[in-house]
Amino acid sequence: MKVLDKELKKKAINLLKNESDSKLITHLNACVRCGLCADSCMFYLAHKEPQYTPAAKVAMVSSLYRRYCTYAGKMAPALVNAKELDEEYAEKMVDMLFGGCTMCGRCVKHCSIGVDISYLVKKGREMLATMNMVPATLQSTVDAAVNTGNNMAIPVEEFTETIKWLESDLIDEMEDPEARIPLDETDKELFYTLNPREPKFFPLSISAMAKVFYAAKANWTLSSKYYDVTNYGYFNANNAEATIIAKNLYDEIHKLRGKKLILGECGHGSRANRWEGPNYLKKKYDFETLTAVELIGDYIRKGTITLDKSLNKQVCTIHDPCNLIRNGGMFKEIRFIVNSSVENLVEMDPYGNDNYCCGGGGGMLAMSEYNDRRLKIGKIKADQITATGAKIVITPCHNCVDQLLQINHTYKLGVRIMTISEIVADALVINNKTK
Amino acid sequence: MSWYIIAALAAAVVCIAAFAFQFFKLLKMGVPEDLSDKGGDIGKAVAYSYTKAMMPQHKESAYLHLPTYAAGMIYHMGTFLSLALFLVIVILNFAGVEMPVVINSVIAALLFITSALGFAILIKRMVKEELKFISGADDYISNLLTTLFQLFSALYLIFPATGMLYFVCTALLFLWMPVGKIKHLLYFFFARYHLGYFYGWRGTWPE
Repeated sequence: MKVLDKELKKKAINLLKNESDSKLITHLNACVRCGLCADSCMFYLAHKEPQYTPAAKVAMVSSLYRRYCTYAGKMAPALVNAKELDEEYAEKMVDMLFGGCTMCGRCVKHCSIGVDISYLVKKGREMLATMNMVPATLQSTVDAAVNTGNNMAIPVEEFTETIKWLESDLIDEMEDPEARIPLDETDKELFYTLNPREPKFFPLSISAMAKVFYAAKANWTLSSKYYDVTNYGYFNANNAEATIIAKNLYDEIHKLRGKKLILGECGHGSRANRWEGPNYLKKKYDFETLTAVELIGDYIRKGTITLDKSLNKQVCTIHDPCNLIRNGGMFKEIRFIVNSSVENLVEMDPYGNDNYCCGGGGGMLAMSEYNDRRLKIGKIKADQITATGAKIVITPCHNCVDQLLQINHTYKLGVRIMTISEIVADALVINNKTK
Repeated sequence: MSWYIIAALAAAVVCIAAFAFQFFKLLKMGVPEDLSDKGGDIGKAVAYSYTKAMMPQHKESAYLHLPTYAAGMIYHMGTFLSLALFLVIVILNFAGVEMPVVINSVIAALLFITSALGFAILIKRMVKEELKFISGADDYISNLLTTLFQLFSALYLIFPATGMLYFVCTALLFLWMPVGKIKHLLYFFFARYHLGYFYGWRGTWPE
């Protein structure tokens, strides 16, 4: 068991003393431990063990707050459920706050009080990050992004080659030598970003978006160095590292003089850049930040691209990524796009803001030590998908895609997992021809 | 005036002062500064947070647990009724006026029911594995004090001789309120505000 460094422990506890606004102190004091949140948490539903109830995770953090930041907790800790932060307690925090919660926020919406449980879990993760207790697997993903510019450590040459190959395919498919996947071009309207899983494992996802851009005659570019939309610094809760990663994109769009930052299909990446990025960098962005979902929705609405939904005849369903829907307000926009692209959409039950996380959020996909747990909670999503009878699951998040692919394999669902750009690309009508 | 009435009044003053201090502190601290571009209507989302989002059909904590939810709601009504009753009792005590027996009986009957529900909630906490796991002394103390407060309020209305019991229990409750989890009386409203603000900023609420 790792021995806690006294100074780091003190720093971690000081995070709970932040009184710059009332949000933290409010949520730390609001939980009444009614336990009614249990049935809203997929970890609890899958395991039926009390430590997985959201209230128990809140208590991991609020007990420390009471112990070190309140008079009652200092004088009579046993009376007010105040706990000592020692090695054993910190290990339990790691297991529950990193390995027992994806910060999907489903419990938050259903909490009888309105406690922002995922916000407190994130605060607990920040404490652990301060004490250098982030799981090594997750930390290595962050280190890769900090050291190489993308979380899969893809060398620039390899990425450039992939893009050139995809561009050549695009030219062939569009039968147009002018079709492009621009790299490092300056003064473009759109600075597009990717999840590194795309060039590494799902290059056709890049092709799909390139096709959408081609149809929209978009003025866009990718960067060959800083294209990574993800920010695992949000998950490991090391704000200094999250800031470095967010700054990579901020600096690159300025370097290339892009006008709009377009966030590729990644739930947490969208959250980390659209909502958290300016706060990491402590400045308002001087460029517009849009998710790919919003951009495509805008293209459809304005008639910039034409879709023929009869090209997607199979029964489809949507998996709502938590960071884009519940925590990002994209519920209606995603439905608008999918309803414009497919003939037959069947919703999951529940869906939208109430939808269950796929199980791969919160950095779970990066933490292989929790693989069994992750796939076990994924059963809930598997059952949801099966109940729809869908053959295609659409989701605008590559992390979700990864988890859904594993669920598909594990529970033998026999479905196809597609991103928004892929389903839209399949419905595109370009120059009166379907592509 | 008896010493226990004075004790209860003093405790009430301490309680109100502690809550007032916290209330103004929270107001002064305000909401977090957010440098991202706002995506929705915060005013509407905050209003939604206090209203429609609180409806039982919008929360699993309510519609998946209707008996517990109903018991909790009635129990809370009993607490507010008892608090209001305390105020009335003190005023009537000063004025030397007694409440009509019929009103006393009706209120007492209601409070017997609410305190029975309080005990039921307490027993549930003591026996259900998930609740035992997340519970500590504060949970039992808070629940017990609030339930006894309701029970002794009812008893006092019918048997004024139990006055000492009632006022001592009331004093203890008032002293415990700002310390234990009953302080959600204040934080609940701020939590709903912050939630509405967060979902409003992101454009998630109103649904």
